[in-house]
Amino acid sequence: MTNLAMWSRLKSPWVIHFNSGACNGCDIEIVALLTPKYDVERFGIKLEPSPRHADVLLVTGSVTHQCAERLKRIYDQMPQPKFVVAIGACACSGGVFQGNYNVLGGVDKILPVNAYIPGCPPRPEAIIDGVVKLLNALKAPPAPAPLPAKEPEVVVKKMEEVKTDAQK
Amino acid sequence: MPKSNIDIVKTLESKLSSKSVQILPGQLGTATVKVAPGDHRDVFRALVDADEYTAISAISGLDLGANLGVYYHVRTSNAFLTIEVEVPKDNPKIQTVNDIAPSATFHELEVSDLIGVVVEGNPRSGHFVLPETWPEGVFPLRKNVNASEVKQNPPLPEEKSDEGKLVKIVIGPQHPALLEPEKFAVLVEGETVKAVQPRIGYVHRGVEKASESRSYLQDVYLVERICGICNSCHATGFVEAVERILKTEVPPRGKYLRTIILEVNRIHSHLLTLGHAGLEIGYETLFQYFWRDREPIMDLQEILTGNRVVSSSLTVGGVRRDLKDTDIPKIRSVLSDLRKRLPFYTELYQNEPSIRARMQNVGTLKREDALKLGVVGPVARGSGVDIDIRKDDPYEAYGEIPFNEIVRSSGDTWARMNVRMDEVEESIKIIEYALDHMPTGAYRVKVPRVVPAGEAIARVEAPRGELFYYVKANGSTMPERVKVRTPTFSNIPAFLKTAIGETIADVPPNFVSLDPCFSCTDR
Amino acid sequence: MNGEETVIDYLLLLFRVLVFPGFTFIVLFTMFCDWVERKFEARMQNRMGPTFTGPGGILQPIADFIKLLTKEEITPCETKRNIYRYAPILAFSVLVFALCFLPIDGSSVIPGVSFAGDLIFVMALVSIANFALFLAGWSSSNPYSAVGAARVLTQFLGYDIPLVLLALAPAFLAKSLTISTIVSSQWLPFAILAPWAFVLFVITMQAELEKDPFDVPHAESEVVGGHETEYSGGKLAFLKLARDVQIVFGAGLISVLFLGGANGPVPFGFLPQFWGTLWFVLKVLGIVLVSEYMTVLFARLRIDQVVRANWRIILPLSILSLILTVSLTYWIFPLV
Repeated sequence: MTNLAMWSRLKSPWVIHFNSGACNGCDIEIVALLTPKYDVERFGIKLEPSPRHADVLLVTGSVTHQCAERLKRIYDQMPQPKFVVAIGACACSGGVFQGNYNVLGGVDKILPVNAYIPGCPPRPEAIIDGVVKLLNALKAPPAPAPLPAKEPEVVVKKMEEVKTDAQK
Repeated sequence: MPKSNIDIVKTLESKLSSKSVQILPGQLGTATVKVAPGDHRDVFRALVDADEYTAISAISGLDLGANLGVYYHVRTSNAFLTIEVEVPKDNPKIQTVNDIAPSATFHELEVSDLIGVVVEGNPRSGHFVLPETWPEGVFPLRKNVNASEVKQNPPLPEEKSDEGKLVKIVIGPQHPALLEPEKFAVLVEGETVKAVQPRIGYVHRGVEKASESRSYLQDVYLVERICGICNSCHATGFVEAVERILKTEVPPRGKYLRTIILEVNRIHSHLLTLGHAGLEIGYETLFQYFWRDREPIMDLQEILTGNRVVSSSLTVGGVRRDLKDTDIPKIRSVLSDLRKRLPFYTELYQNEPSIRARMQNVGTLKREDALKLGVVGPVARGSGVDIDIRKDDPYEAYGEIPFNEIVRSSGDTWARMNVRMDEVEESIKIIEYALDHMPTGAYRVKVPRVVPAGEAIARVEAPRGELFYYVKANGSTMPERVKVRTPTFSNIPAFLKTAIGETIADVPPNFVSLDPCFSCTDR
Repeated sequence: MNGEETVIDYLLLLFRVLVFPGFTFIVLFTMFCDWVERKFEARMQNRMGPTFTGPGGILQPIADFIKLLTKEEITPCETKRNIYRYAPILAFSVLVFALCFLPIDGSSVIPGVSFAGDLIFVMALVSIANFALFLAGWSSSNPYSAVGAARVLTQFLGYDIPLVLLALAPAFLAKSLTISTIVSSQWLPFAILAPWAFVLFVITMQAELEKDPFDVPHAESEVVGGHETEYSGGKLAFLKLARDVQIVFGAGLISVLFLGGANGPVPFGFLPQFWGTLWFVLKVLGIVLVSEYMTVLFARLRIDQVVRANWRIILPLSILSLILTVSLTYWIFPLV
């Protein structure tokens, strides 16, 4: 049953787009994804109007103070399981506007981000690549936790003990 | 623009001879008028009486040390004036000119928000461009305010306002109709709109303040990211103003290349809007077709500048890269393919019944309102106001290239969209003419890193209208003040007026027809 | 039923109602029609549409449905709980029940359920389903949902009248209000005998189904999600499925009333039920494609234009159509 659920989630990711203070460059590249040249409906991606219908939140822009509260609210309105994709250099880290007085500097200052797509703006192919990478990452089992590092054991043996061990 | 015979400088000199007014012709446009704070209203009255095309283009607020400078940039039918007023910092009061020139409203609110000038007669309740969490009394554009030291207030709880029997439908900040966040609270009674309350400032990134702490070259990259759609126009405005301070002359090939880049930008922006309008009226097929035909233009931008969207190809002194002769046939073929598709789209926009049903007589802006509110761009040209900076105040190579100015008189959404449709054809003609007459030679000149003290303005016809830049240099590697006034900022008051009395279903097409670009508006 | 059934008969009845041509078939066929619509719309827009979910993207609607079922369901605190909870499933089940009256494979899906006058009953069921959709929006306590729900109500109440008037045309031609009688008396499809009624019925059904140019309740740019705005998870899945079943029902009604339903050649008289279903499916697909073609071609009209079109154009024309059909049946055909 979980395989079926996972398959359906991967094959039908519905997105909602929010511009949290962007120059519009990333946004027009996102809208271009729906147009005939790039056509993401092939992957089952639909642009949904209401946050309650969507699985993936595409955020552009360097999160101005006025938008921060609204962005959080939209994220809260989305039902689980949900993912956040930060598109563009501004959403990843603030871009050109880092340090400005009205800019928080990146989506990960207020939301947990699942995928970062850099670029100013990223080409539509880069955005598709990023979304596909996100879906594939969900498919793969989580990477195993690294083994705890152990101090190497230093064994000092006498020559006779080595020979006796070898004879055993 | 009609060639009017009004000599605005002489008119001002004759009408204001008794006041303490200093008129300096040839500075910052046609003339600079230095006037005391009480007398600026008389200057405006004289201007508005003399010329119906008088409108405020921008108001720059400057921090001049002991005083605050309030510079009114006014355009008339054949002139562009700067009216400079200074108010003391400890009592920064000035009277509004809102009643004489209604185009001043938004600009006065912004100046009072960002630099702290108290405008009597145009009170500001809450913040206009700054966020609601911004503390009162801290004005970011003043020199003593450091960005990282400002502490935000906690967010305000949502206020429950009682509108009586009016239902408040909020469009935005997140809305499928808008690409960008901006809040428009539409008060409706049944399905009729009674009032629209805007709240802008969601995309305010503080570009003007940031430009003061970056070098001129870094600022080119900063200002073109004010708006991804009309990025080349922002870059053009900024570099032109700086070149005017430096008194550098860009070589002819550089000017022609800039013109081509600007016109390609215009075509892509208009195709974007024309398709987006289809989405608003439920015509998805139209949207898909327009954006499909827009893709070769994006490829063109990539050939010319190396980037699909943010071109980064202009620099102070010229353009950064040359146009190879091997690329020209490809450019010509893309343009001729687009030209073949245009009759189909023009036919659609002019004669298709459902488009006409949704767009005709919707959002009608009368000519006198358009003049009074100071709207620019296709919004003005759709209402019979023939202003186009490429014709009125030619820059780059526009003075040498013949083209038509598209003006329609009905003033409704349909007229505005058709103005844009026809302008695409004109842009193709301009590019082809520029390619045919491309001069050879250098495409850029070297400019010094340090810009001597001075100030200059530049105006560019962006796809959405008049884009205004004011740059003040102080002899260092960083500018003293950069003021940007974008076309949508001047056009939003027109929407607030035309939406009233129509149904809620008319709001999206009306809105898209003024081609709002909020990243431009808020900077 | 007479008292001689065995367990096998009961099992066959269960199979008929629940699997084929009953519930499962209806749901799967609805999803298939959804895929056909999306692919057709994409092709008309120069795109490809769903491609990678199953061969040619055919499993896309199933993936959408299952994904919605696995999502968290959020119930906003200010909704009217019980109505909000049950409206989607009410709309869905009423529509599936209405579909069971149509003779998909030659006789109605639930055997023996057809009665005299069940055409009017079925149209009343559709009105109940539309009303359930209105309740879904009204109980959501969201201004967008309220405006969307009001639009649903305005539109279906208005267009129900011409719809019933036009549906009376085949009833007069067949001299019966029973659906199965209407189907069996179509020696020649009624679309050929009364083409004006057929064309008007297709256009009015377009308005009833809320598709472009009568797409007003689903106007994304004005009312965001319309009556669906506050729904999420499983309830949203059933709300969307209810809309798709409504489209299949509308197309099914058109094909049953005007195109002869499951009538069609049965080679060698072998497996009449299979061939009946096949003809029904093909006719429904044809109507779905015609309807989708109209959707793609037009922009969305405003609500006041939709209402005006109804009262000033569609209603008078449907009255005219009824008069024409009645005079044809009682005065002209007997002469022929």
